[in-house]
Amino acid sequence: MGSWFSVTLDDVTLARARRGDLGALEAVCRAFEAPVYTLARRLVRNPHDAEEVLQETFLEVVRSIERYRGDGSFAGWVRQVAASKALGRLRYHRVRAGETSLDTDEDGEAPPEPAVEPVHPGDRLDVAAALELLSDSARAVVWLHDVEGYTHDEIGALMARTASFSKSQLARAHARLREVLGRQGETERCTRTLANS
Amino acid sequence: MHPDTGELLALRDGAAVREVAAHVRGCPLCAAELERLDAVRRSLAALPEERPSRDVWPAVRAAVLQSRQTRRLVRAGWVAAAAAAVFTAAVTVRGVVETIEESRAAQAATVLVAQSQQLEQALQSYQTRERVMTGWEASTVSQLEDRLETVDARLARSGERSRESLPLWQERVELLQALVDARSGDDARPTYAGL
Repeated sequence: MGSWFSVTLDDVTLARARRGDLGALEAVCRAFEAPVYTLARRLVRNPHDAEEVLQETFLEVVRSIERYRGDGSFAGWVRQVAASKALGRLRYHRVRAGETSLDTDEDGEAPPEPAVEPVHPGDRLDVAAALELLSDSARAVVWLHDVEGYTHDEIGALMARTASFSKSQLARAHARLREVLGRQGETERCTRTLANS
Repeated sequence: MHPDTGELLALRDGAAVREVAAHVRGCPLCAAELERLDAVRRSLAALPEERPSRDVWPAVRAAVLQSRQTRRLVRAGWVAAAAAAVFTAAVTVRGVVETIEESRAAQAATVLVAQSQQLEQALQSYQTRERVMTGWEASTVSQLEDRLETVDARLARSGERSRESLPLWQERVELLQALVDARSGDDARPTYAGL
């Protein structure tokens, strides 16, 4: 994955960037190119949108960097901008498609998952391909929570929803991943066992 | 009764209630499911970094320069208006005691302000049809812009000392001319501004 906190930027470069030095701003953008793009690519559905998110993120960073006061890590701040831009991109597509919000209700009742061929027992999908089969919100939540380490409260705030929405989306995402990763036969357990117990 | 996926996820993330943890310790099915949830997380985190197919920095850089140009134009417009007002006031107030030298200074400043505004417009037209610059050109432009920022700041501070502002206006025109030349690809002129 994109490793945000392995990005090394010395204080001098950061200070120059905050003063608007173009060379330093370029160094900042180059340093965060892979982490930002990777996050964007996981949240949005195609490389073109991910590149738009990358560009929008850097535009926001260079415009706002002088206001960054060092509360928290710089990488964390850039990541927050990137996540916000990626979620904004998802909302943009939903609005264009005539849907009102990223998802529907607090209980996590999301739009139908993208159409997918039935997964037969024994089939194994690559986890990256499986991720793409999730709904926009479920994919965003599982990535932000499981990989980027955001809490449910933070995800709820980013998505203008609640922590419980984030939790229910995470559970939906994992249920779906279990289905498409083709391991039903192995651990198709508790939920069905539960239903019968 | 088995915990649901949400409860197992909470346990995985260290936020589960004690009863769930106790159940999983004694239930091989739930323990396996918990391990599976953790394995999915590890698999996601192990996905490789991705790289964009295009370099977005040139577009970001162009937007930054455009934004600076707009701010500078606004500031330059304010400075020019202030300079014109200062000269007018000087001529009006001093009236009969106006010297020929002061009159010439006022005229020279008026010409320089006009030249400055024309060059700003020319520069803006180059920036709207952004071309790819070499590293040397980009560096030159960056240095010229930094110097221009400095001159603008000194102009803004020069206040009513109109005579002191004259060389600043002259320098501003030279820097703008060098910027226009650099933007247009005529790389002979930046040396004119001392670069």
